[in-house]
Amino acid sequence: MIAANLIAAAGGSFTPPGPADFNLPPVFGEVTKPMILLTLSAVFIFVLTYAMARRAAIVPGRLQFAGEVVYGGVRNTIARDNIGSEHYMRFVPYLFSLFLFVLVNNYFGLIPLLQFPSFSRSGMAYGLALLSWLLYNGVGMWKHGFLGYLKHTCIPAGVSGLMLVIIVPLEFFSNILVRPVTLALRLFANMFAGHLLLILFALGGEYLLFEANASVMNIFGGVMSFVMFFGITVLELLVMFLQAYVFTLLTAMYVGGAVADEH
Amino acid sequence: MEGTLNMLGYGVATIGPGIAVGLIFAAYINGVARQPEAQGRLQTIAILGFALAEALAIIGIALAFAL
Amino acid sequence: MHESVLAAGELNPLIPHLSELILSAVVFLILVAAVWKFVVPNFEKAYADRTAAIEGGLEAAESKQAEADAKLAELEQQLSDARHEAARIREEAREQGAAIIVEMREQAQAESTRIVDHGKAQIEAERQQAITSLRAEVGSLATGLAGRIVGESLEDEARQSRVVDRFLAELEAGQQSGAR
Repeated sequence: MIAANLIAAAGGSFTPPGPADFNLPPVFGEVTKPMILLTLSAVFIFVLTYAMARRAAIVPGRLQFAGEVVYGGVRNTIARDNIGSEHYMRFVPYLFSLFLFVLVNNYFGLIPLLQFPSFSRSGMAYGLALLSWLLYNGVGMWKHGFLGYLKHTCIPAGVSGLMLVIIVPLEFFSNILVRPVTLALRLFANMFAGHLLLILFALGGEYLLFEANASVMNIFGGVMSFVMFFGITVLELLVMFLQAYVFTLLTAMYVGGAVADEH
Repeated sequence: MEGTLNMLGYGVATIGPGIAVGLIFAAYINGVARQPEAQGRLQTIAILGFALAEALAIIGIALAFAL
Repeated sequence: MHESVLAAGELNPLIPHLSELILSAVVFLILVAAVWKFVVPNFEKAYADRTAAIEGGLEAAESKQAEADAKLAELEQQLSDARHEAARIREEAREQGAAIIVEMREQAQAESTRIVDHGKAQIEAERQQAITSLRAEVGSLATGLAGRIVGESLEDEARQSRVVDRFLAELEAGQQSGAR
């Protein structure tokens, strides 16, 4: 692929975009564009939510109402329904910030000029997943004790005898090891693939229209490529929201499973 | 034409999780259509199952890049 | 982190850059802390205030309702009291009226009896007086007349009255025998 890129730079045939397109050059020092975007998103989220919540009016204005829709959704349908009404308030700030953080960073991928989803850098997604992993395991240990928590997560109810030999390692693998990885990679892979698709159709359309021979097939292909670009953009709007929702929901469900009483 | 065989294999490997996710949500939709009041409980189970099935695809992409 | 990491990262996007991992975790933790401290309490406060306002409104409405009910009950009580009072007064008035009528009737009865008695007594007295005066008059007239007729002086008082009495007794006896 590197070789292909080099050939493309030298001119000639079309080079498909690859993972290398996600390694942006540093803006200054070691700081790259996704790092700036990430920090920018945190500041933006804090300023926006602070402005929404500041007045705390009984009759909300338009801004506060929008904030309350998001906050109420995270608080009631994600946190309370999955964690249970006893403990959920403690996790609402985390889940609320998580949802907005993922959502805003994802939509950065569609906003002109910014146009890069931070979580298509796998490190960013690992960072969030690591925090969620620490959160739900920590909460489980705080609730059940270390061994109690291991027993709680690894031994499902109603299993006994020989089956335990198979089930326990599987549950440990699935609940402790795979969960954070899938949490991170789901987000990362969706953002990565979505952005890759957008780059592909944008560059491909550009190449077919402006650089390749102006044959009917090439022009038709170029136009179709841009049409697909808009189609994928609309799809990405949905996927980006869904990823933020799923990431938050799964974190809430893992936390809910960890704090649940014996089932 | 350039590319790696890994990616081709990954494309094939996603068929299984793809079908699984489809089946899970088909069952979820059926369940909600029959008992709309059970939507909250079913949604939790469906998302969990979806996460579990998708984990296979995610392990697949990890292996596709790693191997 | 230049050459080696970049070369590896180019090939494999799954291997994270440690700097990005730490950055995202730290930035997110700061965001969570800020949201926890400044944003969530305000939203919760708005929720609590709203709940309190709604409950307060309901409570106020309830107390108003209770107050109105109490007032209505009181008014109805007063109304029924007034009705009772009015009925009682009417009853009393009727009784009083009846008593007055009875009393009046008795008074009138007594008065009429008195008047009648008085009249009777007066008539009786006048009759007695008339009898007495008639007797005297008739005596003197008769003696005068008789004197004239018989030419006899009947000035002697004792004799005169004796003669008259005798005459009258004869007269009465004659009347009585005549009536019989």
